[in-house]
Amino acid sequence: MFWALFVASVRMFVRNRAAVFFSLFLPLIIMLIFGVLNFEGSTTIQLGIVDEARNEASGRLIDGLADFDYIEPSTGSRDAKLAELEDGSLDYVLAIPPGFDPQIGQESGLVAYASTADPAQAQVGQGLLQQAVGTALFAPGGAPPGGVFGAPPVRFESVESRDLAYIDFLVPGIVGMTVMQLGLFGVAFGFVQLKRTGALRRLFATPTSPAYFLSAQVASRLIIAFVQVVILFGIGIWFGLQMFGDYLTLAAIVLLGSVIFLAVGFSIAGWAKNEDQAAPVANLISLPMMFLSGVFFPRDAMPDFLANITQFMPLTYVNEALRAVVNDGASIMSLGPQLLGMGVWAAITFVVAIRMFRWE
Amino acid sequence: MTHDTSAAAPARRSGTPGAPIVVVKDLRKRYGTLQAVGGVSFEIAEGEVFGILGPNGAGKTTTLEMIEGMRPIDSGSAVVDGIDVSRDPRAVKARIGIQLQASSFFDELNLVELLELFGQLYSRTVDAMKLLADVELTDKARSQVRTLSGGQKQRFSIAAALVNEPRVLFLDEPTTGLDPQARRHLWGLVRLIRERGHTVVLTTHYMEEAEELCDRVAIMDRGVIVALDAPNRLVDALIGRGFTKARVERLANLEDVFLDLTGHDLREDE
Repeated sequence: MFWALFVASVRMFVRNRAAVFFSLFLPLIIMLIFGVLNFEGSTTIQLGIVDEARNEASGRLIDGLADFDYIEPSTGSRDAKLAELEDGSLDYVLAIPPGFDPQIGQESGLVAYASTADPAQAQVGQGLLQQAVGTALFAPGGAPPGGVFGAPPVRFESVESRDLAYIDFLVPGIVGMTVMQLGLFGVAFGFVQLKRTGALRRLFATPTSPAYFLSAQVASRLIIAFVQVVILFGIGIWFGLQMFGDYLTLAAIVLLGSVIFLAVGFSIAGWAKNEDQAAPVANLISLPMMFLSGVFFPRDAMPDFLANITQFMPLTYVNEALRAVVNDGASIMSLGPQLLGMGVWAAITFVVAIRMFRWE
Repeated sequence: MTHDTSAAAPARRSGTPGAPIVVVKDLRKRYGTLQAVGGVSFEIAEGEVFGILGPNGAGKTTTLEMIEGMRPIDSGSAVVDGIDVSRDPRAVKARIGIQLQASSFFDELNLVELLELFGQLYSRTVDAMKLLADVELTDKARSQVRTLSGGQKQRFSIAAALVNEPRVLFLDEPTTGLDPQARRHLWGLVRLIRERGHTVVLTTHYMEEAEELCDRVAIMDRGVIVALDAPNRLVDALIGRGFTKARVERLANLEDVFLDLTGHDLREDE
């Protein structure tokens, strides 16, 4: 009985154009649009500068570097800048040692930490950086005369780091959004329709138990969620997505996220008498999260008060966990706060679903 | 849950009515202050076509749904094929076929898929095409229910109620909203089902339909049965009480005129 209902449930979902559009195609289209737009676009060198000298020479160097169009400098502490290098926000970190006093023909003592993320680009970048530093140091009035360096001005060291592109940010967010849409819209509309037309009543004129029907609905939505995640990842990887974590952890988060939003979907479906009641409520829940839970843009960009509120949204926890796995290779053990957040939401939504649920 | 198909196929007892297959005793249902069903008792013999008649709101559907296990019983009892409905509604549902009033099906599945699904809900494999042939819907096998005409929908609904070869088939207002041609066509189907030995319980508010189809009828009004007998005996009893019609019945009526002019054929492709 379960199997028959499961097969029927998958079949019905796949044939329901509205459900397929809102839960499968919409996220896909959004991802394609954002993937093609590619919000990075900049070809400048993101240079972090750690000034440990704080003297006239270091100031001259920093000012000089800022004059180059292809360099986007930022200063900060060594730890902070190296962390940014590792997570892919910077291309190089230039460390100016204490007592910095460059002389022609001598080693400058400058060390540049380079990201290992993109070796081909690193070659070009290193050349450009050498040239820029040389120019800034020794030829403030013009190009440096050839052969004045006894040694290259900068010594390079590699730092294990990731080169994260927008697609790396986007795909986990879209996966989170899909999980939400599938739970909210995939369940709410189909189920309310069955309730309104009386098809559900007809189903229970047979000896089927409601438990079979509900578990078949949930199982079918989970399978569809996983298929969708595979499709999104496939397209993401084609766009250059890098996966640092393992897929099992990812699947676990997708599963837990689905449970939350399926419970929300069943709450709406159980409460609503028809689609006209279900639609506004489903949108009221999904739209704020779609834009405030960091699906398309980092939540860092938000004003503090908004960021403080939105950090507790269920989709925020899901997205953060997904990004931690995909971008940082986080293990399930290191996701404590996110898992706790998701767990609490799962418990809340589950109780609400049971309270709200009505068969007729 | 598996069924021995041969045992589940009801045996036709021709002529004399068989043992009671449905026994209803003092059935009651109240909705707030409204006494929907106020103490209804009757027995239905195996192989019989039993009609529950009455105006809208008489309690026909509520009575039917309590017997089917679709609605909780306030007090009284209903026993179907030896099983107490309030004790084991699912065991009763496994043995009966139900056509709900205005029942609808899953829109995304076609007729064959629906019948196969419903068969599986009874842990049976069904010959969907044969069921569709019985209700003359073979050419609609791959269509969806919403594309069917009213009469076709009702016939499909009956096919879906027959997937488990039910001991008793419950039809709730099967011909309401159908044109005269489709209604007559459905009568033919009910007779066919009866000939195969299924017990049929139906509700209707068309007296002519009850006269055509039913071996016995219970007439309900305001939640109670006001008369229960074979249709012709009820008519005889009325005449015996000295009743005469104000207008003498002619040999034909307007429906006969309508059918003579528009034909007996089904109009389903419009």
